Amino acid sequence: MKIAEDLKEKLRIERLEVAYRQEGAVQTALKSVDFTLHQGEILSLLGESGSGKSTIAKALLGLLSPSAIVRSGILSLSGQTPIDLSQPSKNWNGIRGREIAMLFQDARLALNPMMKIRDHFRETLLAHRLASKEQIRSISEQGLARLGFSDPSTVLNAYPHELSGGMCQRVCLALTLCLRPQVLIADEPTSALDTVNQREVLDLLQSLQRELGLSVLLITHDIALAEALSHRVLVLNEGHIVESGPTSQVLREPSHDYTRQLLSSRDLTSDAEASSSPDAASLLEIQELVKAYGSDRPTLSGVSMQLHAGEIIGILGQSGCGKSTLARCVVGLEQAESGSIRFQGQDITYAKGTARRRLARQIQLVFQDARASLNPRFSALELVQTPLHTFRVGDRKERLERARYLLEEVGITGAAQHRRPPQLSTGQCQRVAIARALALQPEVLICDEAVSALDMSVQAQILELLQRLHRQFGFSILMISHDVRVLRAFCHRIAVMHEGRFVEFLQGNRLSSGEHAHTRLLLHGAEELESL
Amino acid sequence: MNSRRASYTLGFGVALLALLAGSVLAASWLSPDDPLAMNVGARLQQPSMEHWLGTDRFGRDILTRTLHGGQTTLISCGLALLSAVLIGLLLGALAGMFHGSLFDIALMRIIDVLLAFPFMVFAMVIAALFGTSLFHLLLAVVVVWWVGFARLTRSLVLQAKNSTTVDAARVLGTSKSVILFRELLPQAFGPVLVLATFELGNLILAIAALSFLGLGSQPPSPEWGSMLADGRAHFMTSPHVLLGPALWIILTVLAFNCIGEGLRDRIDPYEKARIG
Repeated sequence: MKIAEDLKEKLRIERLEVAYRQEGAVQTALKSVDFTLHQGEILSLLGESGSGKSTIAKALLGLLSPSAIVRSGILSLSGQTPIDLSQPSKNWNGIRGREIAMLFQDARLALNPMMKIRDHFRETLLAHRLASKEQIRSISEQGLARLGFSDPSTVLNAYPHELSGGMCQRVCLALTLCLRPQVLIADEPTSALDTVNQREVLDLLQSLQRELGLSVLLITHDIALAEALSHRVLVLNEGHIVESGPTSQVLREPSHDYTRQLLSSRDLTSDAEASSSPDAASLLEIQELVKAYGSDRPTLSGVSMQLHAGEIIGILGQSGCGKSTLARCVVGLEQAESGSIRFQGQDITYAKGTARRRLARQIQLVFQDARASLNPRFSALELVQTPLHTFRVGDRKERLERARYLLEEVGITGAAQHRRPPQLSTGQCQRVAIARALALQPEVLICDEAVSALDMSVQAQILELLQRLHRQFGFSILMISHDVRVLRAFCHRIAVMHEGRFVEFLQGNRLSSGEHAHTRLLLHGAEELESL
Repeated sequence: MNSRRASYTLGFGVALLALLAGSVLAASWLSPDDPLAMNVGARLQQPSMEHWLGTDRFGRDILTRTLHGGQTTLISCGLALLSAVLIGLLLGALAGMFHGSLFDIALMRIIDVLLAFPFMVFAMVIAALFGTSLFHLLLAVVVVWWVGFARLTRSLVLQAKNSTTVDAARVLGTSKSVILFRELLPQAFGPVLVLATFELGNLILAIAALSFLGLGSQPPSPEWGSMLADGRAHFMTSPHVLLGPALWIILTVLAFNCIGEGLRDRIDPYEKARIG
């Protein structure tokens, strides 16, 4: 993807420095950031969480939180007087939406749940005086049609919760584009979506960008995404731009150490031993499990599988296919309607009370949002001791010893052991959650999207950790994910789930031999992103 | 910026309350006169160096009576509120924990009935049944006042029950009672505490109002509400008789409202997240 050198400059930011006030101290978030965005260009801002990506986006729109201090920064938009960002300005309403529009990470949260899509369009168009009341309907229908909605009038009458995540993001894109902005900031526009929806949104974004000659600032932690879409890349680390240049140059021949490190975390190392399934007795057996919420089509419609001792099975599927429901049924957070779950030959489908509680020693679950699963009032050390205390394992001193040992095994050492979840990073929280799940030495560990909320490099670390612990303790793992890349590197077998049932079981290293149409669709989505 | 303003409010409330409570608790030291000592020759005197807030119709020193009366008012209000909060927390948490059970449904209907019943009428019924005394008045207050706390606790527990933290605790084999005390109740403490500080202001006013009607503490023992009732007959000619109790009631309610507002801003998780 080339762009001509003589293209017009659309947006320029100079010496942007931002700091945050935090419990008395001031922490610098951005240190003198400069960049330019040209007409018709897609510029990727690549960095891990905490690198300051979103701070840049918010600063460009004057949306920083009150605790932020803009030390300096000049924003120049083509054909306008430069804006000094360190001074409070009243002119943002002329810039927001019209000049610079923003696409948020979670479209569902960006839309008002109390308003129909129709009202979102009306509000947006009237606020900017871009349409008379009579024109609104036709403009919004055209806008939606352009984003691939075959039936715009139905969508206009829907509330955000009635649409899927991908549809919501497309609606948001239609809303921003109806204002005909010069510059579009897309802040992780697809990381909340699954592979299939992701592709749909990205394809649209790309084709519309070309068609309208939009300048796009794409903020992402996903290297594949930056590679697939952007003309140029900026790599951001701890508030510095460490490297910038044309996409192919930066990502093929990185010159900075940090970029290299970022790129290497993308290739998850495959465990040699993990490629063959062990020949052991069946540990967990699920047969014809059915679970329906309400009267609609069941979430799980006849799921059967076997997990052997020491085996790692991956469950691959789009969001909403029933993966998490299966996990919740196994650990007893939900009750299945019919079918059976057997653990070591014993039927546990409807286990309740003490019987269910005792199963906690055998089957453990690691949640996607580790931070939310940890009680913020207790320190890491206390959290890991809790299950030991519940089951009266050893005396007080032994429990403390064991918690220390486990936390050290997962890489939480020294003072970090005494910190509480709000003071730990997301990756550290996930480590604590894993240590806590392993405290009771379970035989089955279920990881429900345990790494999908993490940065690439942290993801690789956590997966490595799980692999090491698996070798060390020999438990079985049920790894639930929508990410083909994660599962391929990690699992003996992969079960592909679609609309509440398994459509295919594949050997981990032979994933590409999948024959079912849905498997191909998932693989296709993932490969497309990687190969572009 | 907001957090700073909130902590000023909180600081002001706490300081004012400390001052008022100090004056009330140290009443016998600050004003060694007998609050019950009558001096008919010196009735309805204007404020002077000898009687800072003047005297009432029996020639009793109003400042002394206000300070001594505060002991009764503040301690009884505090006790009544504490019992109401504890009962509300316990019943509300149980109702939330066993949502949809017979206990929950029955409790909610009782609360509906109590909320529909005018509080003043209820207190009068109790007084008519058991006689007028401060204890019976407080009993009436507690019987009615716990419902707000129970409702709030129940809704907070219901909300917390569906959180990932609680799911995680269940997966770890934690028993129901431990989940209740470790995961659910702590989430309710903050908001209930804030509600309690706001309610204490209302409670003082309600008790003063009932004492004013003659349902609370009986003469001659001093109490802010009954002092107001007492002075009612003379305030056209000597308005100063209302000054003492009225001033202390206003300041106490103000102090608690400031504390409540400051605590709310401090506990509100959204406010916290915004500050960082």
